[in-house]
Amino acid sequence: MIGTSSALVGAVLLLVLILVWIRADSASRHPPSVLDPWLADQGDGVEVCPPEFVLQIFSGQDLAFISRLESPELKRHFLRERSAVALLWVQQTTAAIRRIMRRHLEASRLSEDIEFAMEARIFLQYAKLRLICGVLFLLIGLAGPQRLHGMALRADKLTQRIGEVLRELESGARTGEMDGARSS
Amino acid sequence: MSATVRLVPVQEVYSDLLNRTLSRISCDLGRLIYLASTRDYNTGSYYHEGLASRFSPEVARKTLEMAHRQAFYKVSGFSLEDLASDLEAYLRSTRESPQEFLRTWQRLEPYRIAIPTEVNLTVARLFTSNLRLALAILRSRQEPSQSHR
Repeated sequence: MIGTSSALVGAVLLLVLILVWIRADSASRHPPSVLDPWLADQGDGVEVCPPEFVLQIFSGQDLAFISRLESPELKRHFLRERSAVALLWVQQTTAAIRRIMRRHLEASRLSEDIEFAMEARIFLQYAKLRLICGVLFLLIGLAGPQRLHGMALRADKLTQRIGEVLRELESGARTGEMDGARSS
Repeated sequence: MSATVRLVPVQEVYSDLLNRTLSRISCDLGRLIYLASTRDYNTGSYYHEGLASRFSPEVARKTLEMAHRQAFYKVSGFSLEDLASDLEAYLRSTRESPQEFLRTWQRLEPYRIAIPTEVNLTVARLFTSNLRLALAILRSRQEPSQSHR
């Protein structure tokens, strides 16, 4: 009996998760304006989102201002707009970290002196970040970006940290190559 | 005959642009739209007659591009409350009918042309989203006063 009910609860939870995922995905694919898709055509080469803007997207300051205006329509409009921006940030962060990791894996394949402990640490941080991004993607539509402020800032810091570690590794590898070329 | 080439740093040109032109514009959104208007729609490169003749077209182009990006990031960083005030100041400076202005801006979204090339996608999206909201806020302030007439 307990087994059946927990399986039922599990199935319902899974269904809810799938529905939330579909909703978040469609919200991020269909932004409020028909003119928005041109923004999505911009290339991969653009710089990462500066931290002060991440702070702004997930802050409660604008919501407090909108709430003071006492217009349910404006509040709905605000929540819709801000969620779309937050979802875009999550997608951009996921894409950026995936790109960084792909570059790192390509470099590691060619490298002769791989530190396994370091590689494992990087991979763990990457997995943690992907998990946070996945959770953010699911929760933004349900809870609103303002309630996920701490989690978003953590994801942003983690992205920066992984980027810094990989940059250091790359520059270390380059220095090693130059030293090797000089000594030969 | 000797030609003296004077290398002018971008900062010096920027100060000139700020003192002669930008300081005369009353709000940040106005400055952003002005700077965006110095960009050629077809080629994406910036041109300013006065700066190009006083310094060089290349330095003028670099300065305008930098100033445009700075102005864009400044406006994008505004809280909604500050952006609504700035938009109101810009609206007043145009001397157009507020109703007409708000309707046109909501319909055509001309502020999209103010986004520089190669800026972060999320910041660009935040900019358009916040302007859309600021327009809705001003419109909601207009509507009660209209209904009293």
